[in-house]
Amino acid sequence: MNSDTETVFRAPNVSFHDRRELALADPVLHSALNLATSRFQTLRLNALATLPAAEEVRDRARLIRAHTLSRLDQYLEQFTAQVTAVGGVPHFAADAESAQQLVIEIARARGVKNIIKSKSMISEETELNHALEGAGFRVVETDLGEYIIQLAHETPSHIIAPAIHKTKEQIGQLLHDKLDIPLYTEPADMTAAARKKLRQEFLTADMGISGVNFGVAQTGSICIVTNEGNGRFTTGAPRIHIALMGIERLVPTLDDLSVMLQVLARSATGQNITVYTNIITGPRRKGALGPAEPDGPEEFHVILVDNGRSRVLATESAEILYCIRCGACLNACPVYREIGGHAYGSVYPGPVGAVLTPALGGIKQWSELPHASSLCGACREVCPVRIDIPRMLLVQRDEGFRAGKTQWWLRLGLQIYSTTVIHRRLYRLATGMARLGSRIVGAPTRGWIRWMPPPLNGWTNSRDFPAFAPDSFSAQIREHQAKQLAQKDKLLRGRAVDGTK
Amino acid sequence: MKDERELVLSKVRASLQSAHLPAARATIPARELVAVPPKEEMIASFRRELELVGGKSYLVPSGSQAAELTVQLLHDSANEYKGNEILSWDESELGIPDLLARVRGAGFEILDYFVPADPEARQARLAEMGRAIVGITGAQAGLADTGSIVLLSAPGRPRLASLMPPVHIAFLRVSELFPTIAHYFAADGEKTSGSSNLVFVTGPSRTADIELTLTRGVHGPKHVHVILIA
Repeated sequence: MNSDTETVFRAPNVSFHDRRELALADPVLHSALNLATSRFQTLRLNALATLPAAEEVRDRARLIRAHTLSRLDQYLEQFTAQVTAVGGVPHFAADAESAQQLVIEIARARGVKNIIKSKSMISEETELNHALEGAGFRVVETDLGEYIIQLAHETPSHIIAPAIHKTKEQIGQLLHDKLDIPLYTEPADMTAAARKKLRQEFLTADMGISGVNFGVAQTGSICIVTNEGNGRFTTGAPRIHIALMGIERLVPTLDDLSVMLQVLARSATGQNITVYTNIITGPRRKGALGPAEPDGPEEFHVILVDNGRSRVLATESAEILYCIRCGACLNACPVYREIGGHAYGSVYPGPVGAVLTPALGGIKQWSELPHASSLCGACREVCPVRIDIPRMLLVQRDEGFRAGKTQWWLRLGLQIYSTTVIHRRLYRLATGMARLGSRIVGAPTRGWIRWMPPPLNGWTNSRDFPAFAPDSFSAQIREHQAKQLAQKDKLLRGRAVDGTK
Repeated sequence: MKDERELVLSKVRASLQSAHLPAARATIPARELVAVPPKEEMIASFRRELELVGGKSYLVPSGSQAAELTVQLLHDSANEYKGNEILSWDESELGIPDLLARVRGAGFEILDYFVPADPEARQARLAEMGRAIVGITGAQAGLADTGSIVLLSAPGRPRLASLMPPVHIAFLRVSELFPTIAHYFAADGEKTSGSSNLVFVTGPSRTADIELTLTRGVHGPKHVHVILIA
């Protein structure tokens, strides 16, 4: 067990620059992303419009998350006591390795062979599938998007729509190759084929592993929201259910849960509520005195995973732990919309990932991600719990700078810039030269600069740059003020003349 | 595996000493829920919202008419899915006398829903239950603002009856309608701890994982019929 090292969240070998260029050069990815993120944004807006006093609900949702984290130790104690009280077994895992070991030991001790999973970001984060397969278990993802990704041996590219980067033609071909079924062109046929295959898995699995959207401290319940029904099968059909959750994923009461549910689905898929909002409180009741519940798992385990969260709680990035994983910030982000999820190289892409990944995995490995943003603030705007992501991106950039992870040319550039702007004469000289240069280069194109010498061509290769104004702002102000004074003078003199009449 | 509980909790406590948590407050203030609208309004809202997400709703004045409608829906389902086996909650949980006798009289067979603890017997029972073409359930409550029905697991109320078959028929008394999920929790929240499963079902199961194309009927039912009994 190594609680403070960064074993999971290894940054990929390919640099962020190369991953990004690869994504930008992929026209299929581009059109898929465009379609999906625009649709999600429209759906979100429409859904929020149906919520009375949506802004107040978001404020309350933010308050609930902030309050819970500020007393996280107490709520963790209450939650685990309640899980035990209803017959469940709570476990803690300090890191990914511990979480993997816990699941493997529970499964081995009970002779488990086949495991089904419903979508869980924390199982991606802890690389659980890999560990389970290594230990000899058969693991099948049951969310349609995750199933497609698992068949393709890929990783999810969006928090709530894992296969968003694939076209239906690609998926049809994949299912045809892997499942020995006809080559379908319609999503409905592909879904029906997957349903048939997965139904067999649901009926024969020994163990189900799920994630958790919210844990409720008051009752020891976990809440899982799904649309397909795979989450209900995974948690209801096999004899053992293990739920994995980050330690931050709690809310105090059922009333608080109702507030979170009002914003989660609306922000994520634009639904007022998901098809199945599933609340699980312990294993199937055995009925010592009366009849038993007719179905449900015989055992219910909850694994509370830290994996860096308790460390993040002490940092300036603690606010990222408010996140409820709706994915709205991905859809709103102009950077995500261009490069997609895989380019981030992390389980958590988009604006939330650009903060959460370095926070959990360490800035040394992930110093590039906080720069994958234009700081436009669209993420903060759409966040159901109003997380100030741009603030934390700046904090992370600063940490990267301090850790010496900034390229030499950027360091040099910043040094030159800061020296120039604090010396008045130097600043005037520099802007004067820039004005002159831009006037010469921009002259034939009516003020638009189409070409600049290296390294400035990094900008002009793909877009124009406006030429500098002929005079500096302070010069313009001086001229403007002089004109106004002269005019005032003239007026006053005119009035004085009138007065003599 | 040694339990890492104290390790994690002590790290959380140490971090909380210096945590910067914007907007955090010592308590979450109580709130007032919106006034409960008139029954007719809630019925109309429930039906509208359910139909919007692809569910079907019916309003009948009595249990006997609900039974009649159920038999008719069963015949329709038998035509579409070619079978006569169904799953159902116990009659006492449905609250409609003679319903199951009428269902059997119409030629349908009601499968055993009890899932044994023994692994092999368990799989065998699940496989049988998988043949059902319709699941009949009651509902402990309904939510007017989303068109959701609330199902609480209990003896005589298998959770899989509302999940496995391609068709789900549910009975909901209009007296059990709540305006929102928050109203339901305020009134009946304590029941949550008594059942291993509480599920809010809102229309047929769906996915949009392939190019965001909406497909209804994935792992759960494709058809959801809610019969409101006045």
